[in-house]
Amino acid sequence: MEIIQTALEEGLPALSEHQSKKVLEAFGIPTTRETLVHGCKEAVVTAETMGYPVVLKACAAHLMHKSEKNCVRLNLTGPDQVRDAYDSIMDSIDVEIDGILVQEAIHGQRELIMGMTRDPQFGACIMLGMGGIATEIFKDSVFRVAPFDRGEATDMARELKAAAMLGRFRGQARADMDTICNCLMALAAIALDHPEISEIDINPLIIDPQGKVTAVDALVVLGNR
Amino acid sequence: MIPSSIENSEIYPIANPGSIAFFGASNNLAAMGTTVLGCICAMGYAGKIYPVHPKDREIKGFQAFQRVSDLPEIPDLAYIVLPTPVVVETLEACGQLGIRHAVIVSAGFNEVGGQGKQLQSELTAVAEKYGIRFLGPNCIGVINTHLNLNATFLPYEAGRGYIGMASQSGSFITQMSPHMSRLGMGFSTGFSIGNEANVDIVDCMAYLGACPNTRVIALYIESIRRGRAFIDTARAIVPKKPIVAFYVGGSDEGRRAGFSHTGALAGPDPLYNGVFRQSGVIRASSIEELFDFCYVLGASPPIQGNRVIVQTHSGGPGAAAADACGRNGLHLPALTAATLERLKPHVPHTASVANPVDLTFTKTPLDFFQTIPQILTADENADALLIYFLATSRMIQVVLEALGVSDDMSGDKAEEIIIQQADAIAALGEQIKKPIVGFSFLARKESSLIRALQDRGIPVLPSPERGARALAALVKYKNLREKLTQG
Repeated sequence: MEIIQTALEEGLPALSEHQSKKVLEAFGIPTTRETLVHGCKEAVVTAETMGYPVVLKACAAHLMHKSEKNCVRLNLTGPDQVRDAYDSIMDSIDVEIDGILVQEAIHGQRELIMGMTRDPQFGACIMLGMGGIATEIFKDSVFRVAPFDRGEATDMARELKAAAMLGRFRGQARADMDTICNCLMALAAIALDHPEISEIDINPLIIDPQGKVTAVDALVVLGNR
Repeated sequence: MIPSSIENSEIYPIANPGSIAFFGASNNLAAMGTTVLGCICAMGYAGKIYPVHPKDREIKGFQAFQRVSDLPEIPDLAYIVLPTPVVVETLEACGQLGIRHAVIVSAGFNEVGGQGKQLQSELTAVAEKYGIRFLGPNCIGVINTHLNLNATFLPYEAGRGYIGMASQSGSFITQMSPHMSRLGMGFSTGFSIGNEANVDIVDCMAYLGACPNTRVIALYIESIRRGRAFIDTARAIVPKKPIVAFYVGGSDEGRRAGFSHTGALAGPDPLYNGVFRQSGVIRASSIEELFDFCYVLGASPPIQGNRVIVQTHSGGPGAAAADACGRNGLHLPALTAATLERLKPHVPHTASVANPVDLTFTKTPLDFFQTIPQILTADENADALLIYFLATSRMIQVVLEALGVSDDMSGDKAEEIIIQQADAIAALGEQIKKPIVGFSFLARKESSLIRALQDRGIPVLPSPERGARALAALVKYKNLREKLTQG
């Protein structure tokens, strides 16, 4: 893919969030609707067109941990908030960025994380985990070696300790299991097609109350480390 | 992949040699090779043995040969227990003669680093040149109980069995026979795979997959080198026979922290969990579990579900069994009305007919072994029976004596009753095609009932917890097998 090629030629360690999501999208993983803007006015116009609430994030390949750098503003519900958010991100940023991402805000209490890592013995390994607090505290995550079939992808979800959260949960619909399995198999396909990608992280992938699944943030790490 | 028949396995002659060229045995009793040859002789291996030794002309009653080239035929296998520096040239000489299989027990290769690494690559180069398949180096050897072959340095003390094992530690091949004999089980074949310079765990697993004497495969794993081949081979075997693995640790290579969550969470342990599940391999959490699971998986017919009926004549063991079942994901269904009705004439009024079924006492002793388990396992909600065994020969003898049977008759009569009881349960097991697993705080050597049951293929484990975990392993196998065959 051209995005990957260009980043490699520029010697970048990773793709930006926006580019990372483009790679995921190309393999069928649903991601947030979003536009990369380069000015405050453009941000407001984009937010108006997209519909509130929106999220603003600084976007650059070397911004691998955005929230720690204080460059994410969530749940913006009107033009004034977008303007303020834009300015305050620009003020707090001390590195060169590609622009600011205006992104639809996805709400849901259930979060997953997914990823790919390369193991010296097994090659590309695909991870599925419960997101949010569960990631850090309970380490509720499972792995499979790429490639694998849909049965195996289904089994990954079943194997999570908190698997019940993917069913009907507190008045929310059952998570779209087809899409979850597609995403896992897509990550395996990306890993096999692109040996130049060393890691992928989707964190979080939010399940909305209707059960719809969307990758909200993503990171594609490059290079054979 | 798994060979179409065991004879087609590339490593068949390693486990089934008709003749062995033996390097490293001598008239020096202290040499390890001499000990290994002693073990081979002790188990009664019937194949030809050709010791090769520069000076000794006769070793342990076998004519010895000065050089490989002096051998009267090309043996199936070279068994090498020599000092490290001469191993490479010995394998070279074997290759020149036309020997195509070897077991290299000698150590001092990759595992010591430095010069050892160089020697190991010379070894693999010689093997490649002649097309030799070899086990080791730095291994303990091979056992094939069905061929009376114990080519290790410790005597094999268990019987012929159905557990085929490949182990990255020699100890679990050489030192498990007392543990196994305590439950009346044994190896079919055991491979100590050492450094896996040529034959690795995947090759051994494929062989065991095709081995007709092996009903269940046991693996002791510290790391898997051919990851994808392991997964594919296991997935091909599991629909036909279960594989149980005990995995410890793993290299730190897989533990490197990543940029992202994915890398940080990919320690060897969670990754191997996934690999095993994807492979259809049941993971045991201890050596004890490894053999318990293999024991019950090899003895039992396939289980249909996770619903267990617990039969006991004592409350405590029954409650402990129920608790252990619950903790291991097994369900204890209530008995159906029809079962309760059928049970009524056979149980005393002190009994509890909930599940666990606690009989406290039976009107006729044989009821505990025949009528009642038959009624219980016929229940439409029963997938398996977990049953507590208490009776000792002495206990039956005391009862008989109280009934007026003379002291010199009571011993024989008690044994007769025990055999009858064991036969009854075993016959039921055959007939119903549902797993029956026993537990008892008595061991084989303390109770002829336990011995008789185990010898008739009813697995009896030493505690309710071990019984329940092994039943849960049967359910795991069912689920893994279904996943692989439906996928």
